[in-house]
Amino acid sequence: MNLPIYEFLSAPIQLVTVLHLLTLSLHFLAMNLLLGGVIIVLTAGLRKRWDDPTLVKFTRVFPVAMAATVTLGVAPLLFLQLVYHRQVYAAAIVSGWFWLLVPAAAMVAYYAIYRASGRGEKTGKLSVPSLLVALAGLLYISLVYSSVFTMAERPKLIHDLYANDQSGWVWNPATGDYLLRWLHMIIGAITVGGYWIGALGKDSPAAYQTGKRFFVTGFALAAITGGAYLMTVPALLHTRAIWVLSAGVLLTLGALHLFFKKSFCAAGVLLLGSMLAMVYARHMVRLLRLADTYRPDSMRFAPQWGPFLMFLICFVVVLAVVAYMVRLLTAKRA
Amino acid sequence: MIYPFWDAPTGYGVLMALIAVVHVFISHFAIGGGLYLVVTEHVARRHNDAPMLVFLQKLAKFFVLATLVAGVLTGVGIWFIIGLLNPLATEVLIHNYVWGWATEWTFFVGEIAAALIYYYGWNKMSAKAHLTVGWIYFILAWLSLVVINGILTFMLTPGKWLATGNFWDGFFNPTYWPSLVMRTGVCVMLAGLYALVVAARQPAGDFKARIVRYSATWGLFGMMVTTLAQGWYLRAILAALTTKILPGPVLALRSAAWLAIVIGGLLLLAWLLARRLPVAVAVLLMAVGLTWFGAFESFRESVRKPYVITGYLYGNGVEVAKTDQSKKDGYLAQITYRTGDDGADLFRHACRSCHTIDGYRPLKPAFDGTDQKFIAGIVRGTQLLNANMPPFLGTPAEADKVAAYIYKRIDQRPLDQIYPAADLGRHAYATRCGKCHVLGMPSDKSKSFAGQSADDLNTMLDNLPELAEGMPAYTGNATERAALVAYLQSLGKAVKK
Repeated sequence: MNLPIYEFLSAPIQLVTVLHLLTLSLHFLAMNLLLGGVIIVLTAGLRKRWDDPTLVKFTRVFPVAMAATVTLGVAPLLFLQLVYHRQVYAAAIVSGWFWLLVPAAAMVAYYAIYRASGRGEKTGKLSVPSLLVALAGLLYISLVYSSVFTMAERPKLIHDLYANDQSGWVWNPATGDYLLRWLHMIIGAITVGGYWIGALGKDSPAAYQTGKRFFVTGFALAAITGGAYLMTVPALLHTRAIWVLSAGVLLTLGALHLFFKKSFCAAGVLLLGSMLAMVYARHMVRLLRLADTYRPDSMRFAPQWGPFLMFLICFVVVLAVVAYMVRLLTAKRA
Repeated sequence: MIYPFWDAPTGYGVLMALIAVVHVFISHFAIGGGLYLVVTEHVARRHNDAPMLVFLQKLAKFFVLATLVAGVLTGVGIWFIIGLLNPLATEVLIHNYVWGWATEWTFFVGEIAAALIYYYGWNKMSAKAHLTVGWIYFILAWLSLVVINGILTFMLTPGKWLATGNFWDGFFNPTYWPSLVMRTGVCVMLAGLYALVVAARQPAGDFKARIVRYSATWGLFGMMVTTLAQGWYLRAILAALTTKILPGPVLALRSAAWLAIVIGGLLLLAWLLARRLPVAVAVLLMAVGLTWFGAFESFRESVRKPYVITGYLYGNGVEVAKTDQSKKDGYLAQITYRTGDDGADLFRHACRSCHTIDGYRPLKPAFDGTDQKFIAGIVRGTQLLNANMPPFLGTPAEADKVAAYIYKRIDQRPLDQIYPAADLGRHAYATRCGKCHVLGMPSDKSKSFAGQSADDLNTMLDNLPELAEGMPAYTGNATERAALVAYLQSLGKAVKK
């Protein structure tokens, strides 16, 4: 039967990889504002600064950050599934229930964030219980993602785990693969969250100082956990990823320097560059671990340039439209 | 079969329907509601209608909370669940339509940004700028539908794509346009339904009467467009369908039609009770609307059986293109993730997508009192059953393994020990014959039993495999056989009368 073949790439693998890395970096940037921001605001709140209006102001940013996190998370997942479908679906199925609870946890976190934001607006006080619920949801999602996506890099492990249990209640037992990585990401989120808090609260000395403290401390701790994680993937030291990672560290240092000088936009650009470097290193870890069983460039290439062009045009137009709407929002009322 | 199988103790159809129906119910409102908001705001601003603007701001809050949180995340939930339930179908959709999905994502990004700016900018922006954002929101939201509709309808009627594999052939398939018009009508209808919930909470009076009637008009207009387009859509489906229509989809469609009438009636009631419309009626309308959507989606899902992508991929993830390979090498050779229990692996990949042993669409009651040989006979001829099931393309030995797996989990006592003698014949018929020969349906053979003696019928039972391809041999004991023969005779007599 001559039916169309489904396993093919409709754009060159390099293009898909670039799109994946770029959109994932943007997703991380939004997610770090949200997760890091919630942690920092809660920490400040728990230090008896419940009524600080600057803290309440941040909670009003969180719904937008959550919307951006979810929206920007769709594209990288799509591109990931396009190339690593076999690995990602298999790992997700083995942990099926945990995986399926991700959207539910996101929904709970989302509503909690809206509640915190709404209460902050009404009462001027920080809604700690709502933020704690949101934090629990976000941490759950991050942990499931770390567990599933690292399991997807271990095809043999998936086979073994599935052979023993098909219920979907299997948690990735190879904690050495991902606990440090997860911790590094959480601390990284706090680091970037520190940047956001400082940048968005630039008019409040207390907020700027809080942001700065978290940015600096987070960077130091992220460097330690990142270095420790690197030791678990020694092969990475022999690839160009190590140079990219080094450049990423330098970019973060540059971002810190600019943050001290209160050049927040330039610092943000360097942070995005640093994020791209981290995401690239993450991508290299996946390639290294899968090297014996799967090469993404081995997939058949059957271009769909017409539909790709449609995507590209729409992407550019929508970006322009979003910029236009933001301009409308920020323009002074006539 | 290249993926592991998520063997959860639940009916996958129910799980999928729960997430999907809630999502489509909200996501269609996300489009229609956007149109309702911006059109109504236009009119309100032109007439300096302050109470209406206050109402719209309330509705916008409800709209943002419902669509951005529940709508978006149930949409993500669909991605998660389809990847678990039918990873291969998801893979096919992603590989063929990645740029369709990516394009839809760009609209989605713009739509979310527009919704947030529209909501947060209510008191901050100029009227003109606010309306512009409202229109941008609606256009982007509707464009999302334009893209998603192509991929959804592709699954039901892939059209020329099956021969060409071309993106656009699958996208602009035979049901694309009617489905787009119909779904646009649904969006408008739901905008009215959702708005009524917010309107019903207003204090009784003239203003309430005005917005209730206005919203009910949206609902009725949307319902009218939906109903007209549905006829076009159904004709397009029937023209493209290659499988027979079963009672299930017909029932779903009939239910949807009745529910549409109920919605129309409730909307008229809302119109009449406009000044003091109780919240309960508005909520009831929403509930009926959700049920209507459930019935319609159930029709759409069930009418494409046995496929998940018509003509390309069966519902259980077996590829049509691998028919010959499966017949030659069997399923086990294609199952990548094995557990060491061949029967269980085969059962999961061949049957478990739709059936459980004793839960959702259970096999236990269907096979209680039978034996391994009979079950294997049924497994080998699944495509002949009156259910539009995918064929079992594995080897005969694999069918035996599936049968052994099922047999171990059923009531192994003979039928005459399970059911009382008075009812044995009817149960024997239901178990042995009724899976194909449903009484009252075209496959009903009652007429042929008229005037047959017990000996004739016994001879027939002895030679079932010769009567028709795929008919399993009769394997019941003497007591069951006698009861069955008597029942067949009674069926023949009933036809004679």
